Amino acid sequence: MKRIIGITFGAAAFCALAGSSFAADPPGAQASATPAQPAPAADAPMVPPAKPGVFTATKKGATGYHLVVAGHKFTSRDDIEKYLAWRAADLTMADKGTWFTFTQARTKADTVPPPKRDPAAPRHSFQMANFQPVWRYKTKGAADWKSWSPYAGTAFFADGVKAEDITDFEASADIVVRKGVMDDADPLGYEAGAVSDLLINQVSPPV
Amino acid sequence: MILQKRLMICASAVGLMAGTAMPASAAPWVRGYVVGQYEYAFRYGGRADYARGAEIEPGVDCPHGASTHFANDANTKIAVQRQKFRSQQEIDWIAKPPGLDDVRAPVLTRFHIWNRAVAYRGYKRGIETYVNPWAAEDPGQPQVTSRIGDGFNLDGKVKPADFVSPDGEKGIDNNLYRAWGCDAPWRGNGNATLDLRANDKMQDGLYTMVVRVSGNKDPMNDDEATLEIGYSPDKLVKDARGGISVDYSYRILHTSQYTKLKAKIKNGVVETEQVEHLHSPRIAWFYDQTGDTNFSKGKVRLNMSPDGLAATGLLAGYRDWRELYTENTFAQDGGQQGIREHEDHVSLYFALRRNADGMYNPKTGKNDGISSVYRIKLASAYVVDPENLAMEVPKLALDEERMQAFLAIKANTIKGAETRVPQPVPPGTTEAAVGSFEHDIADLPSKDFFIKTLERPHYANEDKDGIPPWMRRRRGTVAPPPAAPPAAQPAKPQNQVSNEKPTEVAAAETK
Repeated sequence: MKRIIGITFGAAAFCALAGSSFAADPPGAQASATPAQPAPAADAPMVPPAKPGVFTATKKGATGYHLVVAGHKFTSRDDIEKYLAWRAADLTMADKGTWFTFTQARTKADTVPPPKRDPAAPRHSFQMANFQPVWRYKTKGAADWKSWSPYAGTAFFADGVKAEDITDFEASADIVVRKGVMDDADPLGYEAGAVSDLLINQVSPPV
Repeated sequence: MILQKRLMICASAVGLMAGTAMPASAAPWVRGYVVGQYEYAFRYGGRADYARGAEIEPGVDCPHGASTHFANDANTKIAVQRQKFRSQQEIDWIAKPPGLDDVRAPVLTRFHIWNRAVAYRGYKRGIETYVNPWAAEDPGQPQVTSRIGDGFNLDGKVKPADFVSPDGEKGIDNNLYRAWGCDAPWRGNGNATLDLRANDKMQDGLYTMVVRVSGNKDPMNDDEATLEIGYSPDKLVKDARGGISVDYSYRILHTSQYTKLKAKIKNGVVETEQVEHLHSPRIAWFYDQTGDTNFSKGKVRLNMSPDGLAATGLLAGYRDWRELYTENTFAQDGGQQGIREHEDHVSLYFALRRNADGMYNPKTGKNDGISSVYRIKLASAYVVDPENLAMEVPKLALDEERMQAFLAIKANTIKGAETRVPQPVPPGTTEAAVGSFEHDIADLPSKDFFIKTLERPHYANEDKDGIPPWMRRRRGTVAPPPAAPPAAQPAKPQNQVSNEKPTEVAAAETK
């Protein structure tokens, strides 16, 4: 909730026009409350603010964003990807959206098939298994970034690697913020409120 | 019983009620009905004699058939392997508990193990996810894909996803059907298991619902009619073949669960005004679920037969979706009903949430309500006012403990969803098969693993086996506490009222 407050509409519009990105949580941004939100209870869940440079959201098209979570201390794939998903939900609600779609960053070389849309299949408010960001990383002593895609069919880059040997990492995702009734047959559709509810007690920004 | 068919009408009521005997010109008339069938207005689109692979009765409503949650060990395994905190052994053993062949009640033992396991599907151990469904992954729910649906255009708009009524009216709002219409216990052609169960309990005296229509013109055509709907303390009367007997008398209470609406009648079709709150008894199959539907922006349509002996109808409006969730989940406990009926309340929670389409809450920016349509079938009855117009809905004293537990778990569920702080299971419930699990697992060779691994809520004053006091009472191992007499409330069930002996009725109301 605090981060919903954190990104004001004015800042969003400014960044959209300037083609720039949100620099994590603006200092003191918590003071600018969204009018419709009730006052949080004393024991309301809180996600700690991210340090500058940890989270960026770059406007991409009319309602899209390119989101990046970056850090130096790798914990786990699950931790980082959940934090990114929570930021996507948070940003959607700050934009007065009700749901967002995740756009998979696929290439022709990918071997993992995309999830298929099946209107007759069970409907979901979200399927976290389909929220699969792409990664960049550097390991100790390496000068260049390397990439890893969940669609390439290769093992996760950090599997079998000591966490301390990963010196830099970035997980990124493209989303499109949407309003109105969600398309619950879209396997890449995410109801922002439901995603936020699930993740708010689980996530914290990487360092 | 002091039943006196047809003789129960006091002389003054005869003139009012005998609408069919009156000339079709301006004259006061009254038609009364008792509801014999009451269920969600879901349109069944399958074929009862058809299955395809593992699909149950696929049809135009639900292309892959009804839900099959927990229908077998493979489905249950899918549900429990989503929790990353579980070990592979835990997942495998929950799905197929080892040693089941060695116990006296293998089916029941597995049932309780599943019940306990699926009650904890949160993002970490210790979160009971029927009370806190928002803390679980969405397992997914088959939804209605048909465009035909019963109901009304409640919001006055024709939206792309709205249903079209069977007679062609566009803009029909019935998102409860979309969300839950493929849920196994509610899907069927009059034979859905929870429809049968709820109707059986209503017909057996759990509650009675009555409708009274009155006017001053012709009962089949009257543009200034009145429709009253409400609760009756009088037990529904069945005939020798199990149908609803016609023309018995029922009191209609004017306190809670009562609404009086203006209506217009054209060719026997009664169409009421839309009111901000439509109060009426709600669908229930246990006492703890009973209460007020409290539809927002509600209205009623009734189709009366010309002879006045029967009617069918729809009640509709927006219902608080969290109340719907708790009413369906906690009549007993979420795992018990889910496994038995092949429904997953966590899935149903998310389906309600994303299909909520009314009762917009400006404080949260969310819809608190979901458009809901209930179907009723009615039989002719004499609907009369009680002697005491202030008479309240009677209480079942011996079931009040369960009612209080239901209200407590409902409050915790709503609080958790609003605050996103996981809430505990309050005392008095059977969530996670507390008590039953401990009793039936006793001779399972792998019981120690399950007792140690599977979580459950704990309470004050459990015995050495972990059985809480209310479960010991229900199992008869300790005496129940003395029941507190309901304050100035008549007890259920009550007999039919006889208008020939009003003094006896008055006496019964004060007992």
